[in-house]
Amino acid sequence: MLKFLKQVGDYTKDVVQSAKYIGQGLSVTFDHMRRRPVTVQYPYEKLIPSERFRGRIHYEFDKCISCEVCVRVCPINLPVVDWEFNKTTKKKELKHYSIDFGVCIFCGNCVEYCPTNCLSMTEEYELAVYERHELNYDSVALGRLPYKVTDDPMVTPMREFAYLPKGVMNPHNLPDGSKRAGKTPQEIVAETQSAQKVAAISEGSSEG
Amino acid sequence: MNPGIDLQGTFIESLQGFGLPAGAAKAIWMPLPMLIVLVGSTVAVLIAVWMERKVSAAAQQRIGPEYIGPLGILAPLADGLKLVFKEDIIPAKADKWLFTFGPMIVVIPVFLSFLIVPFGENLLISDVGMGVFLWIALSSVVPIGLLMSGYASNNKYSLLGGLRATAQSLAYEIPLALAVMAIAMMSNSLSTVDIVQHQSGYGLLGWNVWRQPFGFVIFFIAALAECERTPFDLPEAEEELVAGYQTEYSGMKFALFYLGSYVNLTLSALLVSILYLGGWEAPIPVGLISSTFNISDTTPWLQVITGAIGILMTLLKTYALVFFIVLIRWTIPRVRIDQLLNLGWKFLLPVALANLLATAGLKLTFPAFFGG
Amino acid sequence: MNLAEGVQIVSFGILAAAVLISALGVVLLKNVVYSAFLLGGSFISMAGLYFLLNADFVAAAQVLVYVGAINVLILFAIMLVNKQEEYAVVKGAGVRQVATGLVCLGLFALLGTMVVSTPWAISSATPAGDSSIVTIGIHFFTDFLLPFELVSVLLLIALVGAIVLARREFVPENLSASGEDEALMLPERQREMVSSRDDN
Repeated sequence: MLKFLKQVGDYTKDVVQSAKYIGQGLSVTFDHMRRRPVTVQYPYEKLIPSERFRGRIHYEFDKCISCEVCVRVCPINLPVVDWEFNKTTKKKELKHYSIDFGVCIFCGNCVEYCPTNCLSMTEEYELAVYERHELNYDSVALGRLPYKVTDDPMVTPMREFAYLPKGVMNPHNLPDGSKRAGKTPQEIVAETQSAQKVAAISEGSSEG
Repeated sequence: MNPGIDLQGTFIESLQGFGLPAGAAKAIWMPLPMLIVLVGSTVAVLIAVWMERKVSAAAQQRIGPEYIGPLGILAPLADGLKLVFKEDIIPAKADKWLFTFGPMIVVIPVFLSFLIVPFGENLLISDVGMGVFLWIALSSVVPIGLLMSGYASNNKYSLLGGLRATAQSLAYEIPLALAVMAIAMMSNSLSTVDIVQHQSGYGLLGWNVWRQPFGFVIFFIAALAECERTPFDLPEAEEELVAGYQTEYSGMKFALFYLGSYVNLTLSALLVSILYLGGWEAPIPVGLISSTFNISDTTPWLQVITGAIGILMTLLKTYALVFFIVLIRWTIPRVRIDQLLNLGWKFLLPVALANLLATAGLKLTFPAFFGG
Repeated sequence: MNLAEGVQIVSFGILAAAVLISALGVVLLKNVVYSAFLLGGSFISMAGLYFLLNADFVAAAQVLVYVGAINVLILFAIMLVNKQEEYAVVKGAGVRQVATGLVCLGLFALLGTMVVSTPWAISSATPAGDSSIVTIGIHFFTDFLLPFELVSVLLLIALVGAIVLARREFVPENLSASGEDEALMLPERQREMVSSRDDN
């Protein structure tokens, strides 16, 4: 009898505990309801890509010296550099340059190693096309001016979470000139430079 | 008690005033409630669907429907229109007749059950003496439709879904009926109007939740399972059974299933609010306020206001429950089939029986409080 | 004839036709599943007839018990044992069918003459209508108490019997015999298997 009663008691305890857990879960869900939606209404609002965003690669034909460093550092030797050696001028003459973005993994090695900085990363990420061969960009397509979210009059640019002022969760209706939390790279550079300057001056004065 | 508004009587009288015979006036009145039930329940479903989408979105920090009408209120309507215009596919090896009849058998009883839902003293289609019992009887027909469509689809997922749905609703009908029985015992009637009137007079304190807390929980869980809502949505568990018995359906037939499930949801919420949350009674009784200001019960404008408050209160409670059900959907994961049947047979049934016994005992000991 | 009577006669005709057609379908159709569904249709039409007779509680109980429970159970059984079986052609099937039809017709004629010739004592009391539940309850606990209790005992016996049939027993000893992992096996088996192994 007592054993049976103990079973009933244990079962009741279990039931009460599970009810408590369900209540906790419900309160978590309920709490989520008052948080602001993270939705960005995409074609009308777009996030501003971050400073180190690796988008479509931009290429300047006139700066290129056909050194093929980009091909060598590329994990899959993707860039196609078509040049011919001009014997009269004794220089390489570049004819075509192309990168197939259907194959590119956007690692950025080519941009990193390009000796003349003729390759650079853009903020463009909308690369949808109707056929995969259209992704094979030639030098003209690569040299097109990149699209910028902030320049598009149809789009409301939104800051990403890391670029919002401290404590702000909502990218909508930010006041003008509001700054992100922490220091920007420019500030860090300026600070280190001024500190170096101060150090150099103090060194100079101690020497002199 | 004051009779409140008598729509039927006034309508027939006014028609007779135009010189129509009594029989013809009644014949003109008759289709009106049916039309109101169909339109009203469909609108209620649209609101429930919209609410489900919006609340789900809010729980997941999304926005949800936004551009179709103000706050996306027309999104469910657009859904319905889309389903109307979709192609009606019947699989080649399916049983054509049963495939067509299945959704109908699922939907018709659910709509019929709206007969007994009162929004006020006289604001219901018919005050049948056996009220809630009729609902239980009608809802027991639904599994036949589910089995029919599951079998007719000629698809293993459909058949499994149909069988699961049937097993589930058989298991949870019994605790549901037992919980209702405890209520019926307290209010000495099965009629929904009597049940609400038994809770009236004391506002918030008179509601059945306080007298039947266990019954409320049992009824709520069983109603969730009857509606196949999460955590009991095994018949259409998309990870295992694609969509259960709805797998092969498309177009208008799928829309019937969809409509049926949401009508069932609102109906269950309505019944929970009628049986346990005082139906059309406001938290502070209207009669108390009117008597403090010395206004007679038979004043026409007071009756209109009382009726409006009744409808408002019923809908408010119902949609609060729908909100809670949606919240549960995003909180509790789906149970396994053995857990489901264990919960039904080994937990809810004994607890419901004990609850019934306790109610009977309490009714005999405290007849004033538990209804003499 | 006023509106109510007209509606009543028309709905009686429809319901009677539905009962007859679906009942014939139950007997005559080859597909068992159709028969089972038509049985449900027959039950529902019967409930409609009860409604016409002002016996709404009986009608609802008919729907709940016969359609909601018994018919669903029959369907469940059919769907779980959905075995396609080709029956062998019986010799002289036509003669047998004609004979069966004759017997059925004879039975129908007998019952029909009995129904027509019996002077039915039709009560002139008004039907209980909405208060029928109360009347039924009073009858259950006064003059029909014994049958009522007997039926409940019968149901209890059926319940216990079903549990005994469906119960599985824990058989731990033959788990390690084939060297299988215990976690991959069901440690329960049906009672019949245990007893049949004991016989060997």
